[in-house]
Amino acid sequence: MSLFKVLGEAYPMFLDGLSMTVRITILSLIIALVIGIFVCLMNISNNIVLKSIAKFYIWLIRGTPMLVQAFYFYFAIPQLIQGVTGTQFRIDIFTASLITLAMNAGAYISEIFRGSIEAVNKGQMEAARSLGLSYAKSMQKIILPQAIRICLPSLVNQFIITLKDSTILYAIGLAEIMNKAKVYVGRTMESFATYTWVAIFFLAIVTVLSLVSRTVERRMNS
Amino acid sequence: MTADLNESVKKENIKIHVKGLKKAFGKLEVLKGIDAEITTGEVICVIGPSGSGKSTFLRCINRLEEATGGEILVDGESITDRKADIDRIRQHIGMVFQQFNLFPHYTVKENVMLAPVELKLKSKADAEKKAMELLKRVGLEDKADAKPRQLSGGQQQRVAIARALAMEPDIMLFDEPTSALDPEMVCEVLDVMRELAAEGMTMVIVTHEMGFAHDVADRVFFIDQGIIMEEGTPEQVMDNPQNERTQSFLSKVL
Ligand SMILES: Nc1ncnc2c1ncn2[C@@H]1O[C@H](COP(=O)(O)OP(=O)(O)OP(=O)(O)O)[C@@H](O)[C@H]1O
Ligand SMILES: [Mg+2]
Repeated sequence: MSLFKVLGEAYPMFLDGLSMTVRITILSLIIALVIGIFVCLMNISNNIVLKSIAKFYIWLIRGTPMLVQAFYFYFAIPQLIQGVTGTQFRIDIFTASLITLAMNAGAYISEIFRGSIEAVNKGQMEAARSLGLSYAKSMQKIILPQAIRICLPSLVNQFIITLKDSTILYAIGLAEIMNKAKVYVGRTMESFATYTWVAIFFLAIVTVLSLVSRTVERRMNS
Repeated sequence: MTADLNESVKKENIKIHVKGLKKAFGKLEVLKGIDAEITTGEVICVIGPSGSGKSTFLRCINRLEEATGGEILVDGESITDRKADIDRIRQHIGMVFQQFNLFPHYTVKENVMLAPVELKLKSKADAEKKAMELLKRVGLEDKADAKPRQLSGGQQQRVAIARALAMEPDIMLFDEPTSALDPEMVCEVLDVMRELAAEGMTMVIVTHEMGFAHDVADRVFFIDQGIIMEEGTPEQVMDNPQNERTQSFLSKVL
């Protein structure tokens, strides 16, 4: 069967591509979590300037396709910088990809955090404050531990979306799995077998992620 | 001279002094000028129709709601002042909510210990000892390591009272503490409150339990239309109300 023939022949390329896919996903998610925390804090703060910046950022990311964002970070912004400073400016593909993916996931994760904090019963904050705990202490000891439990399923869901979205970066030439697959198909015309394997790889990773998250959730709830 | 002295003794004893308290939510004026002097050790029961502002009044006393007018002094210190250190003031004003609001991710004992430990008022060991004493007092020492959701409503509310008492408050606020309970659990919570009242705690209790209010209150406030319509001893307000609206309210609930 050609499926296994293709795997046998192309697995070094596939491994290369997969390792890039996994690396860019993990790195961007780490950055996105940090972005998510800060943007969420800005969004729930009473400072109108911080709040507006957070809302504007989320509006931008939500309102544009990720493909456009990728082109923007890779082509448009370097050109703008070059135009303004008058010096040669280029950004490498990996950095542009990382920024795109992190900025994108960061916006959604900040909304997941905000939603989870708001989902904690209002009475919890009131009970904590009525005992004399400060806002910060109440957040830290009472609200956030509950919010983390609430956000976990949506967060894992976002991890899965980001993993899959990373394939879009093939369009700016990131050497991730889709890119490698395309190159291989160009050489051998083995579309069916190649893309079947790509689909299987994603299914496998997503399935493992889901199982892990379900175990963690169950442990947290007991 | 004696009149002056009496006056000053009374002043010293005023625990909570509410002066012309107003509260509006946007255009909705809920409190339209509440005046009250509550002395140390007094038990006040607040009654009145639904939506009349009883909870709002109570929540202004520990500033869970910001007053939009007037002033509240606790031990002579303004709590409505923007510069007031509200976290410190709240440490000696306990509050018990209709929905208990226990912290679900901590055990019963941890719920009770949390604030004194976090605020560095007690060492962990001392806080734990105190928590166990309090749980014993509300009859729940055997539930110390349970999570709140494993308890009945009445048990949860007793833990909530213990949690508030762990801060060693000298004022306790109760907002319909038995309204969310099944009838058979109301007594166990009211008994704990009776005991507190007998020990001389200053208490402000919003309640629909008229029998309890009659028993335990030194004074009853009937709040309606954003003001205290009528106040006095339970005998005055509940047995022999002068105001027409009080009469009509009581005839509906009794
Ligand atoms: N946060 C809020 N925002 C807007 N309106 C509010 C808010 N809190 C209370 N209100 C309104 O203020 C009025 C008084 O509410 P409050 O909860 O003090 O009444 P209550 O006397 O405690 O009633 P109940 O017996 O039903 O508990 C109601 O009309 C209510 O809808
Ligand atoms: Mg109420």
